[in-house]
Amino acid sequence: MISKKIAIEVLNAALATGADYAEIFLEDSLSRGISIENGKVDTSSSNTTTGCGLRLLKENRTVYGYTTDLTKSGLLKLANTLNKSFDGERILTVEKFDLVKAKNRNPIIRSYNDVSREEIIKLLRIGDDAIQELHDPRLVRTISSFMYHHRDVTVYNSKQKWFRRKTEFARVAYMVVAANEKGFETGFNGPGTQTDISYFTTKLNLKEIALDTVRVALQNLEAKECPSGIMPVVIGNGWGGVLFHESCGHPLEASSAFLGLSCFSDKNGQVIASPVVSAVDDSTIPGEWGSIDIDDEGNPGQKRQLIKNGVLVGNMIDDFNGRRRNMEGNGASRRQNYKYCPTSRMSNTYIENGKNTPEEIIAATKLGLYTVGFNGGSVNPATGEFNFGCSEAYIIRDGKICEPVKGATLIGKGYEILKDIDMVGNDLAFGQGVCGAASGSIRTNVGQPTLRISKVYVGGRGGELK
Amino acid sequence: MKYDKFFAIAKEKGIKESELKVSTSYSLNVSLFHSEINNFTVEDGSNYIARGIINGKFGNASCDVYNSKKAEFLVDEIIKNAKVIQNEDPAILFKGSPKYHRVNTFNKKLEETPIDKKIEALYALEKKLKEIDPRIVEVEGVEYNESVTSMSIYNSHGLKLTQKLNYYYIMGSVVAKEGEQVKTAYEIKLGNDFSEVNIDELAKVIANKALAQLGGEPCKSKKYKAVLAPEVISAFASVYVDHASAENVQKQSSLFIGKVGQQVASKKITIEDKPLQKGSPFSRWFDDEGVATYNKPIIKKGILEGYLHNLTTAAKAGVESTGNGASSGSKIGVDTFALYLKPGRKSQEELFAKVKDGVYITQVQGLHAGMNGQSGNFSLQSTGFLIKDGKLDRALDVITISGNLVDVMNDISEVGNDSKILLGGNTFPSVIVKKLAVGGK
Repeated sequence: MISKKIAIEVLNAALATGADYAEIFLEDSLSRGISIENGKVDTSSSNTTTGCGLRLLKENRTVYGYTTDLTKSGLLKLANTLNKSFDGERILTVEKFDLVKAKNRNPIIRSYNDVSREEIIKLLRIGDDAIQELHDPRLVRTISSFMYHHRDVTVYNSKQKWFRRKTEFARVAYMVVAANEKGFETGFNGPGTQTDISYFTTKLNLKEIALDTVRVALQNLEAKECPSGIMPVVIGNGWGGVLFHESCGHPLEASSAFLGLSCFSDKNGQVIASPVVSAVDDSTIPGEWGSIDIDDEGNPGQKRQLIKNGVLVGNMIDDFNGRRRNMEGNGASRRQNYKYCPTSRMSNTYIENGKNTPEEIIAATKLGLYTVGFNGGSVNPATGEFNFGCSEAYIIRDGKICEPVKGATLIGKGYEILKDIDMVGNDLAFGQGVCGAASGSIRTNVGQPTLRISKVYVGGRGGELK
Repeated sequence: MKYDKFFAIAKEKGIKESELKVSTSYSLNVSLFHSEINNFTVEDGSNYIARGIINGKFGNASCDVYNSKKAEFLVDEIIKNAKVIQNEDPAILFKGSPKYHRVNTFNKKLEETPIDKKIEALYALEKKLKEIDPRIVEVEGVEYNESVTSMSIYNSHGLKLTQKLNYYYIMGSVVAKEGEQVKTAYEIKLGNDFSEVNIDELAKVIANKALAQLGGEPCKSKKYKAVLAPEVISAFASVYVDHASAENVQKQSSLFIGKVGQQVASKKITIEDKPLQKGSPFSRWFDDEGVATYNKPIIKKGILEGYLHNLTTAAKAGVESTGNGASSGSKIGVDTFALYLKPGRKSQEELFAKVKDGVYITQVQGLHAGMNGQSGNFSLQSTGFLIKDGKLDRALDVITISGNLVDVMNDISEVGNDSKILLGGNTFPSVIVKKLAVGGK
């Protein structure tokens, strides 16, 4: 998009007043989306994201700016506006760039840019037709959608490094609204991948995935309201990992942990969870939704052990926030696009497999809640207070899964919940999510095997659990 | 005109009706941490959303850089996208409203106030927050943001509309600690007249919000009389009013189907869509389809007055657009720009006195996860206080509130006079809800 010569000029302009690091983040990305509503193609859209973000650092200070004016004069203007934040003498000059090499674990084999709209519609119809063929009058609205992003990013920085990274990721989503005289309920499934379109037909059964959204929505129409109170909760595998993502993942990001703003700040080496808990953030799993080969600061993706047998051993670290602990980044610097200043973020974050089978965990629970579907949640990293909503849940009685319930919200404090996990299953799976935080919305995988929390507060409208 | 190229290419490639929506924004964000500017951000962005009608179907495409190559891209994508559309919604590009009620949303004075003065205010706020109470153990951050946005719509019918707006916000957030208990709080002051900023007052509000939460314990799980803070009732009303969208009604997914002229909320409730408010930086005098906006009640004394329309839903229903066309992803959906709950006469203290024994809910978390907008059922992590003998008592730690929006809106027995402009443009006072399920222990 711009020549190396211009990149050198812009970085040197940015460094003129004493910044100790400067970085150009150029992006020229394309995304397309198609949706089918009630059986008919409803939207088809295309969007390009093109711009330049410029970041200057000096010790613990950040200056960030972006522009869509990618001419030399536009970029120099931005550099000269931003460098006014510092008033020192130049300490660095950029003369050349060396290419950063990183493993390409997520190669683009067949680009989504070369897939026709007709082929995408055909793919969506595998699941959508199955829903339409039910002719169920309770299904008042159905939306099947597909979106993909082709990201093309080039970074030049004052460590005299440069790289270009092309990534593609895509997602299929089925959503239904069901209604009867009692009201409305919804169902949703949205699997995603960083591999090509063949993934959706060879690795997934879209028909089953689509029909599963119908099953959940219809089940909730008839389900009783979830009871409330403190109870044992068995959390299903895959999407259940959103609990760990919210309650523990965010507070372990260097952006809060290293600023002393997290409930887990300065707890490294200490026991923060039950001994059955080991957790990882791994951005190196080929093709997985949250994987990255190289982060926004040029560091390669890594597998980071966060918790080992209950002991806090690691964090998601970007170079900038690492400065506060004299640590290098470990490949966790991410951003949504050029409009966002990067920071430490999660990738594929999961609790590792334990020893129990899911059946054993259920059988060992006398009275409690079993949750298998989730709507997402949020956390306050400083207080550790988190919440997440359940879209599919059942009451466990005498070790057996019994009646479905709806409207459950789990709330609590992350540092308490982690210590109350008493059984971990052996059926690790992932769920694909979009995580929103300071550096924008990014793709992240949550994951875990089935596990049990001995006591957690469940909010619901169904009165006491009996 | 700068965008003639787009319209020329569109025409040349056979698109008879086309539209280009342009928005540009320039914003500045400064934040302090430990008495140092730790973040300074300058955003200079633009966005171009193009649409065209081919064989009665809309095609659309967008980008954030405009040049002749991108103009070509937009047109080509519009054509390819329109070709696969099957929905039978009428595709309409607007020719213009007979009259637009222009409101001034740009305050030149804000730009003229030097940035140094605004940064000084940030330092003052941080200093004040640190000094206020030893239990405030950390100032998580103080932040100043100022944006100038310009929105324009051009179309092949000759429509040309531009609105420029600017606003600032200043915010601070703190961590309070006592024993092992940690609580956080933040507050935002926003507007487009910087001279209204009172740092001492803002610092007090932020600190008190955090300190008041200390010493909290859960309360007994049961139904309580409750006062909902403006932030809470505004969040609830926004989800509720979405059911007045004609799009949701036509797509059979609204709680308000067949309810026009009927009671959908308590008689105390009058909610207006107020896009035209003098002095509000969130006022919008044309919607995302170029239709003139106007103020109107959506719910008046509890009665649903009518549905909100964009051009498409209006054409399907055989009525006029209500100026509520709002971009939602690649489509034009239906939305409100600024909701207004008509205030009552009682102050917040008088509301507490009236409740006598109950709870005061100040904040709800995780609305995207704990609120089912479709059914109206919710179960939400909340922050609040006990109300005892008509006065605020101790804080409540880790509680949920749960219920259904329809019940909450019908159970409102009093509306306060403590109206507050909230981020996003809603203006709401506190309300009393006759009964609300609170989960604690």
